Amino acid sequence: MTTSPVFSPNAARETPVISDAAYLGSLKKVTQYYIVTALLALLVGTLMGPLQALNYGGINVYDTPILKALLKSYYQGLSLHGVLNALVFTQFFISGWMLYLPARDLGMRINMKFAWFTYILMTAGLLVAAVPLLTNNATLLYTFYPPMEGSPVFYIGAAVMVGSSLLVVGQVVNMWLRWKRANPGRVTPLVAFMCVATWMMWFVAALGIVTEVVFLLIPWSLGWVAGVDPLISKTLFWWTGHAIVYFWVLPAYISWYAFLPKHAGGRIVSEPLARLTFVLFLLNSTPVGLHHQYADPNISNAWKTVHMFLTFLVVIPSLLTAFSVAASLEDAARARGGKGLFGWMTRLPWGKPMFAAPVLALISFILGGAGGVVNASSTFAPVVHNTAWIPGHFHITVGTATTLTFMGISFWLIPHLTGKRLPSVRLASAAVWTWFVGMMVFALGMHWQGLVGVPRRALVSGAAQNVYKEMPIQIPQMLTAISGMILLVSMLLYFYVLFRMLLSRRVDDGEVSSPIPYSEVISPASPNLAGASALVRYTEPLMALWGVALLLVLLMYGPVLARLFANAELVPGWRLY
Amino acid sequence: MAAPRSAGQRLDHHTLEKYENIWFGIATVMILLLFVTVLASFFSGTYPSLNGEGGHHITGVKNGRLNPKNFAATPFATPGLRQNADGSYEAFVIARAFQFEPAVLKVPVGQPVTIHVTSADVLHGYFIEGTNINATAIPGQVSSFTTTFRRPGTLNLICNEYCGTGHHNMINSVKVEVQEP
Ligand code: HEM
Ligand SMILES: [Cu+2]
Ligand SMILES: [Cu+2]
Repeated sequence: MTTSPVFSPNAARETPVISDAAYLGSLKKVTQYYIVTALLALLVGTLMGPLQALNYGGINVYDTPILKALLKSYYQGLSLHGVLNALVFTQFFISGWMLYLPARDLGMRINMKFAWFTYILMTAGLLVAAVPLLTNNATLLYTFYPPMEGSPVFYIGAAVMVGSSLLVVGQVVNMWLRWKRANPGRVTPLVAFMCVATWMMWFVAALGIVTEVVFLLIPWSLGWVAGVDPLISKTLFWWTGHAIVYFWVLPAYISWYAFLPKHAGGRIVSEPLARLTFVLFLLNSTPVGLHHQYADPNISNAWKTVHMFLTFLVVIPSLLTAFSVAASLEDAARARGGKGLFGWMTRLPWGKPMFAAPVLALISFILGGAGGVVNASSTFAPVVHNTAWIPGHFHITVGTATTLTFMGISFWLIPHLTGKRLPSVRLASAAVWTWFVGMMVFALGMHWQGLVGVPRRALVSGAAQNVYKEMPIQIPQMLTAISGMILLVSMLLYFYVLFRMLLSRRVDDGEVSSPIPYSEVISPASPNLAGASALVRYTEPLMALWGVALLLVLLMYGPVLARLFANAELVPGWRLY
Repeated sequence: MAAPRSAGQRLDHHTLEKYENIWFGIATVMILLLFVTVLASFFSGTYPSLNGEGGHHITGVKNGRLNPKNFAATPFATPGLRQNADGSYEAFVIARAFQFEPAVLKVPVGQPVTIHVTSADVLHGYFIEGTNINATAIPGQVSSFTTTFRRPGTLNLICNEYCGTGHHNMINSVKVEVQEP
């Protein structure tokens, strides 16, 4: 039993009150800056999307005069699309979202000067990296594999941008440790726990790319060393590059676990289970990156197989999440009078964009996850590796599971931060549903083309040979082209709603009219460690688990990298764009 | 500890916990089965896996590494198919922006062929359309794998790794031929 007299076990959590209005205002403002910067990156990034979809629809628009004046090549547009959407949008949104949530959940004061400094540094990195991207001096796609060489300005800007996310890790972990010291024997509240675990995972994950860029690419692009080993760089890239996908989806998971039940009118299923899920991700999402390198030589098959096995294990916490979220939705629907094995689904508030966005995102992620298991299997991978199947896959994971959830979050978070109102529920809802439908059609078209053998990252519509005209891909090409147009409509709707909201006047106190949507819980964790279940007690020592995560990644990457470094073969750089 | 809510049909802690454990069990078993089947397919050789570290025995190539400026000391000096003294077939291919050498690789039908691929400049992809042959061509490194082409005909060989402005035009072919006796 609990020792705390005020603890009513199933009640929704309330955020601790912050009475310092100036501090709260500044905290909200820095969060808003992160979120809006992220969404601006998404706007510019997605503008290229429909053009790329037309390309995969067999229509080449890159020779039209307007586009020729703006973009040097398809590949420059694609680099902007990939970098802005996959790296910039995600990192900025997550930095704002997962700084604000734990600060509010724990009721801690953070140093606002440092918070602003971090935001400004991250933005400065972005702006510096943007210059070579916009001037066709870093047309390297978002993977920037050497020895294709970009301007050093790009690598430096990217390093500053990604490096500043580590400062956010510091802020959040430091805040949590101070809370622990001030509250001995207490269990970390769920949302803060999920944020801290995710940031710790990102720290372990980011070490790969930071090492690659700082120690290999910057010195090489500045001409301080004569060459680069492309395989070492690629291996370090994917150390981060796979875990980064969990850095994209875990912040969405937080809203699925903690806030979606509230939007639906249901309850969180089990706090201990949610904690276990996040700990499994902390330990298991990083040491799996070699599954992106099945096609690469000189990495032993044994290590590839070990990473494949670990990849499969990451499926388990994802399946646990699917269970939990589905159960909270069912709980909500039955509370509203839903009946039957599936009939309850009709009772969910499908017309409410805050609800529909994360649920549709989750549905998309189930399909994306199934495809991901195919990609991860070393025997299937050669059939789909680097074909159009791959963009088909990640647009229903990061492009929908994450992006659509973040869109849904913005519909209540921006009113909460600013006291402004969502201007139109109907338009917001239309944006959500068209995004989902568009991405489903897109995924169908691209997966299908990939299976026939159309490669990704290629101006296929402009190929000199007739190869793609002879392939049986007329139907999937049509699907892809149509999906691009649906998505164009969707993004116009979304950004219209967003800007109308941002540019409108403040009407009330967002804290009151749009509170953080904490949900009730069916099986809560006790507030005190002493009375908590074993699962809660074993998952609570995150510092120790962080150490284990670091050790695991060193064990799984150390021997591989040691062999690569021992046989390094430096080659010169090239600029073929 | 939390008393389950008895409100009508709503879910309670105990039922949920039971379902949760069943689901967890199913998930774990599924994952293990998946892993075992992938391993089975791996060992039975349904796909041409890359030779691991040290799997290459090519003159001038050490630990699978070679200097991309010095193909002269290696068999890559003359790209194409060759038959070794023991009757086995080997092919040497160079990927270079924006074509493969040889532009048409001729291979025998129904005979195992070991293909070695490297790059002279940036990363390229070696993807034979309609098959599961898919390897990365990396400058300084050799990708080697053994495969058997079962049907005669001409297959498209497509570069599937971004390699610059001509990437989409980097398409050549593999010609599978019936052997002259
Ligand atoms: C309007 C919506 C969008 C459309 C129509 C679209 C379309 C496409 C297409 C057709 C490609 C393949 C290009 C190629 O392989 O040559 C692509 C690539 C990509 N997209 Fe999107 N996209 C959209 C939104 C997004 C979003 C929201 C994200 C991420 C948050 C995203 C991330 C990416 C990434 C990372 C790539 C790969 C770039 C690369 O391979 O280097 N896209 N997109
Ligand atoms: Cu190429
Ligand atoms: Cu290419």
